[in-house]
Amino acid sequence: MPPETILAFDTSAAHCAAALLLADGRCLIRREEMAKGQAERLLPLLEEVLAEANLGWRDLNAIGVGTGPGNFTGVRISVAAARGLALSLGVPAIGVTRLEALAHGLPRPVTVVEDARRDEVYVQHFSVGGPEPAALRALAGLSVAGPVTGSAAGNVEGDAVAPAMPMVEAIARIAASRAQDPQPRPAPFYLRGADAAPPSDPPPVILDA
Amino acid sequence: MHKSLTFLGIESSCDDTAAAVVRSGTDTEILSSVVEGQVPLHAAFGGVVPEIAARAHAERLDHCVERAMAEAGVGFAELDGIAVTAGPGLIGGVLSGVMLAKGLSAGTGLPLVGVNHLAGHALTPRLTDGLGFPYLMLLVSGGHCQFLIVDGPEMFRRIGGTIDDAPGEAFDKIAKLLGLPQPGGPAVEAEAAKGNPARFVMPRPLLDRPGCDMSFSGLKTAVLRARDTVIAAKGGLTVADRQDLCAGFQTAMASVLQEKTRRALDVYLDARPPVPAFAIAGGVAANQAIRAGLETLCHANSVRFLAPPLRLCTDNAAMIAFAGIERFRLGHCDDFTLSARPRWPLDQTAPAMIGSGKKGAKA
Repeated sequence: MPPETILAFDTSAAHCAAALLLADGRCLIRREEMAKGQAERLLPLLEEVLAEANLGWRDLNAIGVGTGPGNFTGVRISVAAARGLALSLGVPAIGVTRLEALAHGLPRPVTVVEDARRDEVYVQHFSVGGPEPAALRALAGLSVAGPVTGSAAGNVEGDAVAPAMPMVEAIARIAASRAQDPQPRPAPFYLRGADAAPPSDPPPVILDA
Repeated sequence: MHKSLTFLGIESSCDDTAAAVVRSGTDTEILSSVVEGQVPLHAAFGGVVPEIAARAHAERLDHCVERAMAEAGVGFAELDGIAVTAGPGLIGGVLSGVMLAKGLSAGTGLPLVGVNHLAGHALTPRLTDGLGFPYLMLLVSGGHCQFLIVDGPEMFRRIGGTIDDAPGEAFDKIAKLLGLPQPGGPAVEAEAAKGNPARFVMPRPLLDRPGCDMSFSGLKTAVLRARDTVIAAKGGLTVADRQDLCAGFQTAMASVLQEKTRRALDVYLDARPPVPAFAIAGGVAANQAIRAGLETLCHANSVRFLAPPLRLCTDNAAMIAFAGIERFRLGHCDDFTLSARPRWPLDQTAPAMIGSGKKGAKA
């Protein structure tokens, strides 16, 4: 596999994070905590990381982007920017879920349990054979055996372990491992439906329709 | 004589995902205009659901850009800039567009120009007909209703507008009340054409007050009351009842818009514009009854009447590309800190009509 220069970023929670994976294997990481303002901060932050490595946009071989689950708007901020960069640079953008990133580099089996608010969690089990489907589950009554990682790991039974590396670095490294193969365009990984209810007042009866 | 400029435009402020390429020099040419609607996605909910709209925009926008550029036959090297709707609108969609545009601008080095969606509509008569300033504009859509005197690409004077609902929103709500499909405009118009407008006489809100401000929420309530009276008597509506309700509603709407436009023309003509012109834009401009009333009024006042073709009256990205070119020519350009704004009044000097507080004025 030829050396790759990959820029990864994530705004799926209250942060703006970037990782620049260099061809020599080094990884430059920036992470700023912020509850809002990611849309304004993201591109300038990425330019700063590139400048630190004396690189420009055209030096990138691929884009890695965190697709959630997490804050819907935050996820879309990064996914939309990644799609724009991919289209204009002619390089692939590779989506990596938050759950894959948190499990990256940890021995298997491991279960990722991430806080999803509203007394719910995002859960994904990574067995020795590979990942099982991710799901949104109620925190109450959830039982997990074996090692557990993620922001809600402490709320379930099991042996809590810390992630192996910063999440945004894991996004970059996973993206690097996939960059050689054709990838679908990154899409937000919501795991939770849009809040929308059909209208409560029924339409009138049409007598002679 | 202007240097020819070619811009990509991106629009995602409501329920249309759109991209277009426009070239403007001595003449203006729309090289492509792709609009992908979302009507089926929202059909079950009786209106546009912001989160559903945002989800669709985020995964469709880049495809629309590719299609628009392919149809125009231009690559990034042939572009002079990227214009994107930066507000006002449903923030999730606007943000997706703005972030896509930032990514495109970063990767290409092309200038980024954030455009006010309403400026896009308001400048459309210049895109289609090269109309000179100043002209009077009625912007009438699902989210907006205002009279603007357009003095320049960035000089808008609002001389009146709705203090509550927008007409397009009222059409949608009436359709919902009467069991007609969304979007409500075409459905209500088709029923109204077959109905008797004299059977249900609806109120004409604010006609008794001076000025160009309008109100439509009471009109909607009046239709609801009339509907419920019929339902109470018969246990439902007949097709003819529904046609008559639509006709009564549309007639009231058209007559309010006509009378308020007459007053707006008085204000506009007071300043003796050299070539008086009135233009209408927004989705409601597609309504033939409303349009005909305004056209008659303009003829009576010797004012040129302009209504862009329907595809340029409703949301599209060609108007955004063109407004971006006009803004760029004035020396405006944005950097990567460009914000998406849910609210962004065109006329920043006029007192707020709707909305206040932390979010600011809506109009």
